[in-house]
Amino acid sequence: MLRQEHNELLTRTGPGTDAGKLFRSYWLPALLTEELPHDDCPPVRVKLLSERLVAFRDSGGRHGLIDEFCAHRGVSLWFGRNEECGLRCPYHGWKYDVTGQCIDVPSEPEESGFARTIKLKSYPLIERGGVLWAYMGPPQKQPALPEWEFATVPAERRFVSKRLQESNWLQAMEGGIDSSHVSWLHRGELDSDPLFRGARGNAYNLKDARPVFEVVESPGGLYIGARRGVENGHYYWRITPWVMPCFTMIPPRGDHSVHGHFWIPLDDENCMAWSFDYHPTRALSTAEIAAMRDGKCVHVRYVPGGFRPLANKDNDYLIDRAAQKAGRTFSGVSGIAMQDASLQESMGAIVDRTRENLVSTDNGIIMARHKLMRTIKAMVEKDVTPPGVDVAHQRVRSAALVLPPDVPYREGAREALSVRPGVAPASV
Amino acid sequence: MPSESVRATSAREIGFRIGDANSRPRKVKVIALDRKAAAMVTGLASKTWNGAAFFTATGLDAPAPQAGGFAMPGWLADLAGRARNIVDEVAGADVVVMIAMAGEDAGAASLIGEACSLRRVMTTALVIAGARTGDDALSASLALLRPWALMLVIAEDIDYIEDMLVALRA
Repeated sequence: MLRQEHNELLTRTGPGTDAGKLFRSYWLPALLTEELPHDDCPPVRVKLLSERLVAFRDSGGRHGLIDEFCAHRGVSLWFGRNEECGLRCPYHGWKYDVTGQCIDVPSEPEESGFARTIKLKSYPLIERGGVLWAYMGPPQKQPALPEWEFATVPAERRFVSKRLQESNWLQAMEGGIDSSHVSWLHRGELDSDPLFRGARGNAYNLKDARPVFEVVESPGGLYIGARRGVENGHYYWRITPWVMPCFTMIPPRGDHSVHGHFWIPLDDENCMAWSFDYHPTRALSTAEIAAMRDGKCVHVRYVPGGFRPLANKDNDYLIDRAAQKAGRTFSGVSGIAMQDASLQESMGAIVDRTRENLVSTDNGIIMARHKLMRTIKAMVEKDVTPPGVDVAHQRVRSAALVLPPDVPYREGAREALSVRPGVAPASV
Repeated sequence: MPSESVRATSAREIGFRIGDANSRPRKVKVIALDRKAAAMVTGLASKTWNGAAFFTATGLDAPAPQAGGFAMPGWLADLAGRARNIVDEVAGADVVVMIAMAGEDAGAASLIGEACSLRRVMTTALVIAGARTGDDALSASLALLRPWALMLVIAEDIDYIEDMLVALRA
């Protein structure tokens, strides 16, 4: 369980909140690059950390992320005309550049300089690895550009998607570090999903549904290791890194691509689940890309025209009770992403953690909350830079490997858990 | 047929959740495996808990486990220094939490673990390993704890013990 005041502390991320200040320390995924595909393309509405914004790409290819609403009468600039290096409000023609600076107020004499007195809030928006990243913190603390490995490999080795999740970010993220649910909820997918099946490690998983867990602190957050006994008294380890505040990475299987997530708050009752797949040393195949576009593995199919999953709470996630009964899926919901999302949304928008009954295997979750609270306290009281801002903390990998029984995996897997350009992931 | 009445997931929906207690108090036994851990556990015991009981195993001379069953009845000490039978204490527990400092003698883990195994009680081990803890010290602790801990946490700061116990409703 978590005390109510701590639940509030961790789940509220709007302006002026402590957890909101934490999130505003990082570059956050805000849009897919393809959402602003060319200069002067239509603007896109973005909600991030409970702030409504509009993103656009101007005539010179510069990206802007500014307050959604015109300073004149509060009209949404999503209706604006993106033209000649600025976004013009269609109501009375006020025009803004990518920094939010008003550059034209047609009703006022240009010589009056009135336009220069108007400026909307804006945030830096940069492109990296198929993602447009926003930084919403103080300009003087803007960190180095993100160095997550998936965002640094050549484009043909990467696939990135996002989906709306109708729950608070924390319960979504906690699913990403809750390794103990995998052998239950996702067991049907290990043999059937084209992006999972065929790995030797799958047999280890299915043979032992009750792994032993070890949680270890890391410079950027945590490692959550799940171990299963294998041949010769050795252990098969699956190690999930969590980097603050909301980056998780699934241990690889065979030569499949590696999957991971960011869980980004849109507001306190909705988040965007970002999902990436990449392989550090080879291009993704046409078949792999097709499977990802078809919603396999950590990706989903969409309601046309947006990022809401096709299976959602309004259609009971297309639950198939016959498949559940037959054991093809454990919950009746198809696909790893929606198996997680359906259950996490069912908890309610912000789950009441005072009523939880956590058990020992939930220590990964308990430790993550502990570290988040400790980090927020240090940041608020002593202005300490939080873990995960340093790009060295971002150069992590998940790993699946076999180790001798008395080796601390943090040591035995030290290289495997680090980004090594040109070296394939440690996988079984 | 789907019921429209249960689809809403706004924060207000929490107000319609049943508020009655959904669990009974859990019996958590916290055992310090070495002298440094004993000092931490003594400090923790002075706080308010939901029935958690605190012990030290620092006086134990753990015998090597024998084949074919539980080796011998062993003794714990409660914080008043009274001897307690391991098997009796473990028998009534929902979970046993063992606390160790990396590099200290965690040999008692085998006796406690064997008692838990006999009684089918869940075990969690928590190793405090500061940033300067050597790999050899940690490795030695893990070698003693891994056979007996169904959940193992390696934490850098002792504050985690309290947070974990609160989370477990200890």
